[in-house]
Amino acid sequence: MAATALIARTRDWAFGPILRGLLTGLVGFSLGAGFTAGVRALAGADAIAFGPVIFGGYWFGLAGWLLGVGVWRTWAREWLGMPVDWTMRNGWQRYFDFTTDHKVIGVQYLVTFLGMFFLAGLLAMLMRIEHLTGGQVLFSPSQYNYVMSLHGITMIFVAVAAVIGGFGNYAVPIMIGAADMAYPRLNALSYWLAAPVPVLLLATFFAGGFDAGWTSYPPLAVENRDGQILFNLAFITLGLSSIAGSINFIVTVTKLRARGLSFGRLPIFVWGVFAMSLLGFFFTQYVAAAMMMTLLDRLFGMVFFDAAGGGDPLLYQHIFWFYSHPAVYIMGIPGLALALEVITHFSRKPLFAYRWVVGGILAITALSAVVWAHHMFTAGLSDIELFFFVTTTELISIPTGLIFLGALGTIWGGRLWLRTPMLFALAVIFNFLIGGLTGIFLADVFTDIHLQDTFFVVAHFHYTIVGAGIFGLFAGIYYWFPKITGRSYSEFWAKLHFWWMFLGFNMTFLPMFWLGLNGMNRRVASYPSDLEALNVVASLGGFFLGAGFLVFLANIVVSWVRGPAASANPWRARTLEWHTSSPPPVENFESEPEVVGHPYDYGTPGAVHAMLAGAEEEGG
Amino acid sequence: MKPRDAYAAFVIWVVLTALGEAFVLRANIYPLAGNEFARDVDDAFRLLMALAVPVFTFVVTVLVYSLLRFRRNGEPAEDGPPIHSHRGAVWGWFAVTSGLTLLVMVHPGFTGLLELRESRHQEMVVAVQAAQWSWNFTFPGRSELEKVKDLKLPTDTKIRFDVTSRDVVHSFWLPMYRMKIDAVPGRVNSVYVATEEAVSYGENVNVRVQCAELCGTGHPRMQVRVEVVERPEFDAWLAEQEAG
Ligand SMILES: [Cu+2]
Ligand SMILES: [Cu+2]
Repeated sequence: MAATALIARTRDWAFGPILRGLLTGLVGFSLGAGFTAGVRALAGADAIAFGPVIFGGYWFGLAGWLLGVGVWRTWAREWLGMPVDWTMRNGWQRYFDFTTDHKVIGVQYLVTFLGMFFLAGLLAMLMRIEHLTGGQVLFSPSQYNYVMSLHGITMIFVAVAAVIGGFGNYAVPIMIGAADMAYPRLNALSYWLAAPVPVLLLATFFAGGFDAGWTSYPPLAVENRDGQILFNLAFITLGLSSIAGSINFIVTVTKLRARGLSFGRLPIFVWGVFAMSLLGFFFTQYVAAAMMMTLLDRLFGMVFFDAAGGGDPLLYQHIFWFYSHPAVYIMGIPGLALALEVITHFSRKPLFAYRWVVGGILAITALSAVVWAHHMFTAGLSDIELFFFVTTTELISIPTGLIFLGALGTIWGGRLWLRTPMLFALAVIFNFLIGGLTGIFLADVFTDIHLQDTFFVVAHFHYTIVGAGIFGLFAGIYYWFPKITGRSYSEFWAKLHFWWMFLGFNMTFLPMFWLGLNGMNRRVASYPSDLEALNVVASLGGFFLGAGFLVFLANIVVSWVRGPAASANPWRARTLEWHTSSPPPVENFESEPEVVGHPYDYGTPGAVHAMLAGAEEEGG
Repeated sequence: MKPRDAYAAFVIWVVLTALGEAFVLRANIYPLAGNEFARDVDDAFRLLMALAVPVFTFVVTVLVYSLLRFRRNGEPAEDGPPIHSHRGAVWGWFAVTSGLTLLVMVHPGFTGLLELRESRHQEMVVAVQAAQWSWNFTFPGRSELEKVKDLKLPTDTKIRFDVTSRDVVHSFWLPMYRMKIDAVPGRVNSVYVATEEAVSYGENVNVRVQCAELCGTGHPRMQVRVEVVERPEFDAWLAEQEAG
């Protein structure tokens, strides 16, 4: 079989890996489900209960899927002493394969999570239609709760994975002068673990939906409809993918930096991804545990979160936020770091106070471990707990301020080139300013008691996560588009998209601060009709914001197909990914790069960041 | 970049800050405040806005000024000055942001916690049980079984609400008193509210109890209209509940 597999590969069908994965996944699922049903029958329980059978089948199905899609061929055979087959296809087919090239994986992440972004965006449009009046418009309350929950969790996954999974994978190895990630097969595994996640989320529709929001607090999340099971499984699965990805980034940045690339010379985006990978590695396991405990409570009668059985609902909230507070940095910091990267190159001036900015990012990383309970100020914490978490949470303002210092100090007196990536990067700073300042009202118990669980919170986290994370994602898309595709996008349509998105975003979310302060609690299909006027403004803003993405899609698709060819370094930027062709060759560089200076030495005549052995100095 | 730029930006910042402060100190963006505590919370909110304004205008001034003043038409022909850092600017920034942070942490952070602690007095205790999807109140001297579904409260009374839940997590929110506490199964969380003047839901929608934590289908409508009435009227109402 080994030899035939090798031969078959060269004439493989485009969707062969995915189809094989689906097939083995189905086999695995049947085995797991059958086993579960059998055990239950023997124990005298209802054999084909939906939840336990899905739960039992899922893990075997997931293993089967991974084996079939590529783990068996490229990896598992090795464990049995058989030869493995690493051949990767070259054409568009590689995007549908268990490909180990980090650039392919980056694009896979980007396209997958952009697709999820648009889907969740459409759900947001539906929510804004519902909010056009205080009463019922489109949905019953339970339908609304499903749409809201699905929007929430899908966007959370996008925010966690799009920038790190997309640009972390695409750009970080090139920026540090590596040929690939440290563990290429683990990298492919991370992506193909993430691929079932949108499928699970969509499948919730056929399991009755779920209505407990992305936070999914028990007991509600233990008692509600069975779509919740798929939600919990999706969260655990993306968690596994995140942990694998985080390990890969930590090792890659630690071990594979080019000669001369000390940590003190690391581009700021690499720092952002590295620090957030530390968070992903240390903290994701907790949310996976919270999800698993919810499932065990629901399916097997355990009582972790059941007060009547001796458990505690607040236990869930502590474990959940112990991850999910760090996770908001995983969503925001890569976008901020990317904005700083872009701001520096488009100001043609060194990143101001580089060491302080790096220190700021690392301080945020460390502090994020001890602030989680600020999401629980109204849960009934003791005074000493309130005191502690107010203190730690307020402290985060100081390192966050250093990121602003870096951005402002860099543009001041620079030579600003206002191309689209730069506009998005500056918008990140503006949006995050509003998100950060409004965070102070929520960090303070006295004002938070009233604002907790209102639209003030909704506005605040959209300003941070969308305002920094997603605007950063779009800064990255325009910044690296020429590198990834080898083509140039249309600047006119890109700028139109920027202004459209910037205005639409602010028009949508600015009114929500007032709405929350004035008595509109979050996650509601209906609200007091006194609050209709500004809800209509927010809804119109939302529709406007949504429509703007058509401009983006048209520009990206047309430019990718037939945009003018891009040069290796259209921005004259200094980091290593601009020292190689657009798009780069399979192992990134024609010859081994050597770093001899800081990446941001703009304005110093003769300063060089990196040289390629045998090549002429470039990108100086 | 010349000293002139710094002066110009400084003047713009001062003007914008003055305008911003004039706005946030006067703007009445707050819902009805039903007692002293609520007014103090609004004062804290206003103070935080007043402190946020100079920070906001500073960042916006530098952003917009740079955008207009330092922009190049097309690709910049030359690099900017090789300024990597500036000791005074960095330490100044660090000192100012740290100072502001510590200020906010102490006031209204710690002082707010103290006020919260000092507000814990009661002349009356009301037990609150949340359930999907209703609020059930047990008044003093009544057995658990005598629950009322609408809520009247006496004026000028310090009330403790002992909040718990029968099923999932809810949250007991009185917007006009800026008070909120989660209703968690297996726990009793207490909050303290000092009523003042008579007021009713008919006058203002924020005179209500609203569930603030997602609890399923009935979550948005899990609310009770509140009426704060003079003591005799309250006593009569309570007696009527007993009779009914
Ligand atoms: Cu948090
Ligand atoms: Cu409720």
